[in-house]
Amino acid sequence: MTTLRTEGLTRRFQGLVAVKDLSFHLDAGEILGIIGPNGAGKTTFINLVSGITMPSSGRVEYKGRDITYMPAHERARIGIARTYQLIHPLENLTVIENVMIGSVFSRGKSLKEARRSAEAICAELELDRLDRDTAKLSMLEIKKMEIARALANEPEALFLDEVMAGLNSDETKQVIGTVQRIAAERNLAVGVVEHVMGVIRELTQRVIVLEAGELIAEGPYEKVSKDPRVIEAYLGGAA
Amino acid sequence: MAIKRRTAILVALGIVAAVVVALWKPTVLIYGMQSAGLYAAIAIPMGLVLGIVHIVNLAHGEFMMVAAYASYFACTASGMDPLLAVLPAAAVTAGFGLLVYKLTIRRALKSPELNQLILTFGLAITFSQGVNLLFSSQTRKISLEYVSASLTIGELSFGVWPFVFVFVAGAMAYGLKLFLTRTTTGKAALAVGQNPRGAAIVGIDVDRTYGLVFALATALIGGMGALFLTRSAIFPGVGGPFTMKSFSLVAMAGIGNIPGILGASVLLGLSEALMRAFRGLRGWADIIFFVLIMAVILGRSIKGRKS
Amino acid sequence: MNRNLLRILAALVAVAAVALPAFAGAYPLQVARNVILYMALAITWDMLLRSGQISFGIAGLFGLGAYASVLGVLRAGMSPLLSIAFAGAFAGLAALLIGFLILRLRAIYFSIVTLALAEIFRIVIQNLHDFTGGPEGLVLDGVILGGSASGLYWLTLAGLAVALGASWWFEKSKFHFALTAIRNNETAAKSSGIDIFRWLLATFVITSVIQGFLGGIYGQSYGFATPDSVFDANFTLLPLAMALLGGIHSTVGPIFGAVLLGLAAEWLKLQIPYGHLVVYGVIIIIVILFIPGGLYGLIKKANRASEGRKA
Repeated sequence: MTTLRTEGLTRRFQGLVAVKDLSFHLDAGEILGIIGPNGAGKTTFINLVSGITMPSSGRVEYKGRDITYMPAHERARIGIARTYQLIHPLENLTVIENVMIGSVFSRGKSLKEARRSAEAICAELELDRLDRDTAKLSMLEIKKMEIARALANEPEALFLDEVMAGLNSDETKQVIGTVQRIAAERNLAVGVVEHVMGVIRELTQRVIVLEAGELIAEGPYEKVSKDPRVIEAYLGGAA
Repeated sequence: MAIKRRTAILVALGIVAAVVVALWKPTVLIYGMQSAGLYAAIAIPMGLVLGIVHIVNLAHGEFMMVAAYASYFACTASGMDPLLAVLPAAAVTAGFGLLVYKLTIRRALKSPELNQLILTFGLAITFSQGVNLLFSSQTRKISLEYVSASLTIGELSFGVWPFVFVFVAGAMAYGLKLFLTRTTTGKAALAVGQNPRGAAIVGIDVDRTYGLVFALATALIGGMGALFLTRSAIFPGVGGPFTMKSFSLVAMAGIGNIPGILGASVLLGLSEALMRAFRGLRGWADIIFFVLIMAVILGRSIKGRKS
Repeated sequence: MNRNLLRILAALVAVAAVALPAFAGAYPLQVARNVILYMALAITWDMLLRSGQISFGIAGLFGLGAYASVLGVLRAGMSPLLSIAFAGAFAGLAALLIGFLILRLRAIYFSIVTLALAEIFRIVIQNLHDFTGGPEGLVLDGVILGGSASGLYWLTLAGLAVALGASWWFEKSKFHFALTAIRNNETAAKSSGIDIFRWLLATFVITSVIQGFLGGIYGQSYGFATPDSVFDANFTLLPLAMALLGGIHSTVGPIFGAVLLGLAAEWLKLQIPYGHLVVYGVIIIIVILFIPGGLYGLIKKANRASEGRKA
């Protein structure tokens, strides 16, 4: 079942086209990689889908419903969650409170209920000592907390923006396993932006490749990575 | 692009307003232009700091007030004309400004914007209340003969002296433009204003540039303090309203747009003078700029949301 | 156990505050009233600050409330107590309308507009001569509660109780989560389903109701309102400095700050009639540069450090 779909999605910033005529779909239970060289428009694309930025033209559909201009906070309520590339844990709030934020507003839970479900999710992600200040968390713990917050939202579509960045290889493996497990158990539609191709190969079933805001290739990683246009895009970007 | 268009709109509005007013009530044009000159000359240094150092200095008007007090005491003690005090006042205030910058504002450059706001608010209170403490809230004025020179054309009679502010404002805007586009230091300052990190990468000393720009702005406002003495009485709270007016003008013009400040000042000066021309509306004149600033800021935020 | 100790201490302070008129004479009560009034304003200022928005317009809503209350009595024949409630409602309604316009602004733009609004209120009231008495203001026939020193003290204390209750509720409810998230990162807050505008509007209206309510208490306590007295910039400046010194983003901080600065101000006022406010300016600068968390922040840090050593 298709959870999320875009058609001809375009966003211009003062003459510059960040995302151009992008059509894609994301199905329940699948993990999709969103890759491309720096500045290809990956983050803008996630911003468009999650409602942080509004498109110049095109259409976004969630479970058959047009949500093109729906504000971000409403999208969170209907089940679209995301993490951020640069994470700023909320100072003044403990780990558990950071996770609770994910469900207090989008699910309208009471603080008590929110705490209970946040505790369950943290246990599932093996995140402990929940009454700690966030200032002293390790990178792995911060990333887990961020995923936990997104999950507390009880989403059906989840976007992870460079959630592996800053982790060592063991930690990366651990988080890959976690993401695969939660996606399978919850039948989530997951979109993942990553720079490390090893992660994309391990984690995803399908990838889309963006270059200068345009979708230039789509398919399983093994196939796409041999596509001359994709190789050209990466080499061109590197040169 | 957007800035140029806004400057054009402001200047066009200013010209239209000036023509209409000139035909209808010539004195309004004269008084309006005179206060426009004063507003612009005070606002331009604030625009300079905001555009390059990216600090909203809520103690801006208080720097002028302090300079005016210093000039007042220097002039009354030595019998010097405030006009002669303009350059020394600029130099002394620049030093004072640099000191204040190094001791306080510089330390808060990396803090959240809210901290910077509260910090300069604290500076404003310290300056105005410090002067109040030292010299009381009594108003002080220097009487000068040339200030009362007036000109009569037909049935119109008006003071000539306040036009000096129009020239000063124009000279300031033009001089800064030359400085920022023709000199190496000025170009460096402009680069720092647009992209501090990029400027640092190409070898510009950002920290030094900030200090320099702040000192330059306080020099200008210090000179204005001495000049202000020729026209008005001073008291500890005299600078406060100019901080707000200056910020409104800078916001109207758009940050980094110094010529736009001239246009915005004309608009404000003329509207206020127009209100004052009607007996029943006189008390409401002070509200004009608050209404203008609200309209401009709100208009901007609505436009910003659309794009 | 530490927490229980604190609770007992707080209860004792509360009892002492209520019982104060039994021990204190007219002058100490007057001083206490001032401290309490500024304390309540400092708390409401901090409540909005928890969302990251700095208001420079406390005096505006406070003055509006004072006028609403005095006018309610003089022009609508309200009883003094009812007029105080009316003052809160009126300020809240004004904040609701204004909030729709200005709560999309951020940082300096929001702050300057709140400052401008306070001035607009003052100028409007000053110019509606026939209705508001113009620059001379309005005088009531008498002071509320017959001007009894303890009555006025308790009335002001009730105003503080409202502010404290609201602030405490903010800390324990979803407001805490919403405002902290908004202050920290608006984009991330949106993605967690927070309707930023709605929470800001609610906070702005609630704090304005309390500020108007306190203005009403002030107007009735002194039996008059003039533009210069009730829109005095000190009603913005003092609460701001108190909250900063005590420690922002908390209820306890503004309480500390108000007691310290309030008492200090009373003493300074006697020593230096003019310009003693310079102390407030200097305190603001020192706190921002060296102790951004305020005194309460220092205590918390020390506490954490000692706990760290124990562990």
